[in-house]
Amino acid sequence: MYQYDSIDRTLVNERVAQFRDQTQRFLRGELSEDEFRPLRLRNGLYIQKHAPMLRVAIPYGLLSSKQLRMLAHIARTYDRDFGHFTTRQNIQYNWPKLEQVPDILADLASVEMHAIQTSGNCIRNTTSDHLAGVAADEVCDPRPWCELIRQWSTFHPEFTYLPRKFKIAVSAAARDRAAVAVHDIGLHIERSASGEISFRVLVGGGLGRQPILGREIRSGVQPADLLAYLEAILRVYNRYGRRDNIHKARIKILVKALGATEFARQVDAEYEANRAFAPRVEAAEIARLQAFFRTQPYAALKDIDVLAGADAPFAAWYRHNTVAHRQSGYRAVFVSLKKPGVAPGDMTSAQMEGVAALAERFSFGEVRVTHDQNLVLADVPQHELRTVHAELSALGLATPNIGTINDMICCPGLDFCGLANATSIPVAAQINERFDDLDYLYDLGQIQIKMSGCMNACGHHHVGHIGILGVDKHGEEWYQITLGGSATNDASLGEVIGPSVAKANVANTIARILDVYVEQRQSAEESFLQTVRRLGIEPFKERVYA
Amino acid sequence: MRSIIRDRAVVADAWRYAGEAGEGPEVLSLDAFLASAAGASSAAGTAVILQPTDEPEKLIPYLAQLALVVIDFPKVGEGRGFSQAQLLRQRCGYRGELRARGALKRDQLFFLARCGFDSFDLDPTEDLAASLAAFSTFTAAYQRAVDGALPLQSR
Ligand code: SF4
Repeated sequence: MYQYDSIDRTLVNERVAQFRDQTQRFLRGELSEDEFRPLRLRNGLYIQKHAPMLRVAIPYGLLSSKQLRMLAHIARTYDRDFGHFTTRQNIQYNWPKLEQVPDILADLASVEMHAIQTSGNCIRNTTSDHLAGVAADEVCDPRPWCELIRQWSTFHPEFTYLPRKFKIAVSAAARDRAAVAVHDIGLHIERSASGEISFRVLVGGGLGRQPILGREIRSGVQPADLLAYLEAILRVYNRYGRRDNIHKARIKILVKALGATEFARQVDAEYEANRAFAPRVEAAEIARLQAFFRTQPYAALKDIDVLAGADAPFAAWYRHNTVAHRQSGYRAVFVSLKKPGVAPGDMTSAQMEGVAALAERFSFGEVRVTHDQNLVLADVPQHELRTVHAELSALGLATPNIGTINDMICCPGLDFCGLANATSIPVAAQINERFDDLDYLYDLGQIQIKMSGCMNACGHHHVGHIGILGVDKHGEEWYQITLGGSATNDASLGEVIGPSVAKANVANTIARILDVYVEQRQSAEESFLQTVRRLGIEPFKERVYA
Repeated sequence: MRSIIRDRAVVADAWRYAGEAGEGPEVLSLDAFLASAAGASSAAGTAVILQPTDEPEKLIPYLAQLALVVIDFPKVGEGRGFSQAQLLRQRCGYRGELRARGALKRDQLFFLARCGFDSFDLDPTEDLAASLAAFSTFTAAYQRAVDGALPLQSR
């Protein structure tokens, strides 16, 4: 993975010093709340319902064991012994003290981490494929490009006060695991017949109040021109994006108002006009970054029959929580953060330390965070899988439910978030309880439930196969259900099935929806999403409101 | 008389914004400047203030006679002025004094300077002398900007 040089280190340390000074000036009254807000936000610090919330960047979701141990240390020292992994591959702490945040940032800096631009109206953490570098279907490793974008977007002088937040995702695989269509900029890396790579650029995707899928505005952007092209997009947005209404300030609104064609024309014009001043990506620089992401020093191993003589729990875990690796003799392992009864994405300090140790012993000391709030040990030798399973089980991290309806994405909701209309964690618990029969879950196959506690859609409910949105009805918590969303290559937004349902009825409603699926699917191979797309929402609606 | 930061020192401002009482030559709004054709010259030269929606490209025919361009940041979090400044310095080739004015504190100085501002009329509550240190908040940068800092991407 990328290693800081003295310049990266200096910048992060200088940021800690700057934020320490800003915090002290705020506490002394030299900065007003209004002035301090954008400064603390761009260091990931929110003022939440109960306490501040600190969001720490995990660039494109990649962590070393040492870094994960530091995250555990921070949870234990400054928080209530746990952290929450988010859909943007970051981690959030829900109970830090404002005065201690500079110390937390200093601790993070000691392991090459930070909270820079994890919030606020600036370019956020660049996200990517959690299987980058090991996926069989990728054309190249996207992470050197993510790192390039991370550096370019860090403290970009022109784009530090954008109209609104700005998120970039990169995918280099046939199957999009980074949800690029729901980002402000989504980049697909493609490889031509002659072996050259280039970038296909989507703009204006996003969820929230007005969910829209990104529109392709350009393909064939050459590696050398990537940053120049991104600057052109950002400049058009910075100048012309709306600033009068926070709900209309995302780039998607500008793209929609202008139309994708006109927006693309303005970007192209800006790109041409700025050629003399725009950054060029030097081949030597990208080669320098690529050197940090070489393939791991794999042992020469043969594939083995892992399931020979296996007991049922191991077999279930192997089938659901591990995936094929492009290196023979290896497997990628999902660490499930979706144990029933635990808030999705939450992890205790002890669990973090346990996984850090497992990564060191069995997976080259690296861990990835997925955008659906699990972790991945990407490079585990097949003959070590039983040990890894046993140890993950002991840590409570081996629930064999990856990809099932219990592998829900869920935002913090009313329990923690000041913007929420309704709780989401207790609803996740209700669903977990209702669907506790693993054989039934396996029979249902891949179904993603995504849940948000309000329209801000941090839980990506619009692109869940089943989406659940908390709404407030006269002070009571109600839930609106959507069907048919998807965040991958065939991205689509879910359709609302009808009036929202009472909190006590959410799991029952989902049970009815699943009954329709089981009755109507054409074969065991037809997935829930395919069935919904074939039938439309009517039959589901009829059953739910019967 | 108002104090500003210019060329990294606290100095007295010789100019008067449109509508302000007092002495000194007036800084015109873009409309007023363009309406007076080539702009009303004074001994000190001509000055114009751009609002966030003003297009800096409109100044291109008049760059030679401009002594000062002010870019207004009316609200905390306003960010269009950063792009206006880069455009003025790079595409338009403006070399005169470029001032950021408005809801700004020392926390923005580093980025403003990188975009080509060389004078700063900060929020009246800001301690200007104490603010000077903010120009060296960071000792390196990842991007090429107006200040010409070596882009680290070619390290
Ligand atoms: S979706 Fe709403 S409730 Fe959930 S975390 Fe985001 S803002 Fe908070």
